[in-house]
Amino acid sequence: MTVTATDTTVRLDPNRNVPGVRRPGFAETVRAEWIKFWSVRSTAWSVVAMFVLGAGLTALVCATNAEWLASSEADEHPGSFVTFGMTFAQITAIVLGTLAVTTEYGTGMIRATLAATPRRGAVLAAKSVVLVGTLFVAGTLTAVAGFFAGNFFLDREGIGLALSDDRVLRSMLGSGLYMAGLGLFAAAVGLLVRHTAAALSIVLALVFVVGTMVVLLPGAWGEWTSKLMPGNAGASVATPVSFNPNLLEPWAGFGVFCAEVAAVLLVGYLVFRRRDA
Amino acid sequence: MIAARGLTKTYGAKPAVDGVTFTVEPGRVTGFLGPNGAGKSTTMRMILGLDRPTSGSVTVNGRRYQEYPAPLREVGALLEARALHPGRSARDHLRWLAASNGIPRARVDEVLGLVGLDAVADKRVGKFSLGMGQRLGIAVALLGDPPVVVLDEPVNGLDPEGIRWVRTLARDLAAQGRTVFVSSHLMSEMALTADHLVVVGRGRILADCSMAQFIGEHAASYVRVASPQRGEVADLLRREGLDVAVHDQELRVQGLDAAGVGELVGRNGLLLHELTLVRSSLEDAFMTLTADSVEYSAHAPARTPAGAHS
Repeated sequence: MTVTATDTTVRLDPNRNVPGVRRPGFAETVRAEWIKFWSVRSTAWSVVAMFVLGAGLTALVCATNAEWLASSEADEHPGSFVTFGMTFAQITAIVLGTLAVTTEYGTGMIRATLAATPRRGAVLAAKSVVLVGTLFVAGTLTAVAGFFAGNFFLDREGIGLALSDDRVLRSMLGSGLYMAGLGLFAAAVGLLVRHTAAALSIVLALVFVVGTMVVLLPGAWGEWTSKLMPGNAGASVATPVSFNPNLLEPWAGFGVFCAEVAAVLLVGYLVFRRRDA
Repeated sequence: MIAARGLTKTYGAKPAVDGVTFTVEPGRVTGFLGPNGAGKSTTMRMILGLDRPTSGSVTVNGRRYQEYPAPLREVGALLEARALHPGRSARDHLRWLAASNGIPRARVDEVLGLVGLDAVADKRVGKFSLGMGQRLGIAVALLGDPPVVVLDEPVNGLDPEGIRWVRTLARDLAAQGRTVFVSSHLMSEMALTADHLVVVGRGRILADCSMAQFIGEHAASYVRVASPQRGEVADLLRREGLDVAVHDQELRVQGLDAAGVGELVGRNGLLLHELTLVRSSLEDAFMTLTADSVEYSAHAPARTPAGAHS
């Protein structure tokens, strides 16, 4: 390794102004988080995994169930099937959201981040913008691709849906919104526990295990706890017709989900603001 | 200039930093010396606004770190070289840092060249050796061309060439008029780099003085005298008012230099077998000063003889 003399490039000018230097604002913080987000391999892998799982499984399930759905024995709506894969795409959104925060704590990089941008609210907001933007676009594109691939098989049986159908259109954008919300939820939990495995376990358990088990609670308790669990409240906006009949109306449910995400994010921010890095 | 005033950080009931007050002046290298666990890193994290002081304050050029809109252009810091994502390349690491503070992209290539990492800039930092990681950390510190540079244990993991490079770099940065604050737990390293010393132990300041003053005050010296007529020599020197201690076969004389002792003994017709000026090393001085404040004393700290003697 060669070492270059130091005094050729570093000069202390009292009016130091490297050409092109700008006074940084929120746009620079977002730009830094964007570079950070896309310069590790796990991001691209997760987005690819989301697309493969989300669109691929939808196509597969529609292909194998189209004939049954078209028959008189069918007791499910084809609209439940055209976003089937998004249930699994959720995992990748949760992984991306968690990693965006917990790898900073795992590697100690959070200190570099906060030394560069001491305004912690700005750091959290910038991370959220990058995460929400990426997951909304990736989630919506995945849902649309899955719809076209799956609907191709449904069309052949004469039970296809139109993209212009209100419920379909809502579920396409809803998938993007739900993925973005889940990612943010996972990031907020990551901010609280600061540990990848712990944060992933908590969020995956809440969405996939606890969300389906609380229905076992007796009576109205079970019904309402189930409806209000984040994974249940948020998911109905992401499908034209839900498999689960006992869910809140799509937008009402999404509203509840957003409130839950906002609450965890707020607690995360308050802790983050006070905590030593 | 860095100014700490009554800076205190308490974890639970235990103070890690206990009311320290010091200033780090521009134009010279200030060494921040203390055994492991003395509070050096905690102090440095408070300078950078990462840890919140329990009480007291610390400012950089008159403002708290958090008040700077582009802090990397005011203070460059090497905290832990491993505060990196192992999957990111060195160039990308510098790119996001530059972007966050509005520093142009060209500066990234410049600092990569400066620390000699241009050839491996696109390799993932997880594959870097400790020394390469340390060089990247220094590139980060220099990215914003800052007037204040804070380096926490910069020579850790570096080979001898790297150590010399950091030493020269620190001195050059100070010569350019920058404020340079370098921590170390090795007195021998500080002796070669620092002009001024702030010594801490158990969160308190034990010494805050120039290197020359520290050497004068803490590195004790004596003249070792060996003679077949030890008793007579000792009596003679004591009559002259010198402080004489008997150790095995030798006498240790304080209060006069070797030449003076030799002349005195010679004028009185006594025989000498050995006459040597002995200076205890700076490392010894540092050990003595911090002996009561070492946090974990089960292991004797490693001594690096190179350059330890002045």
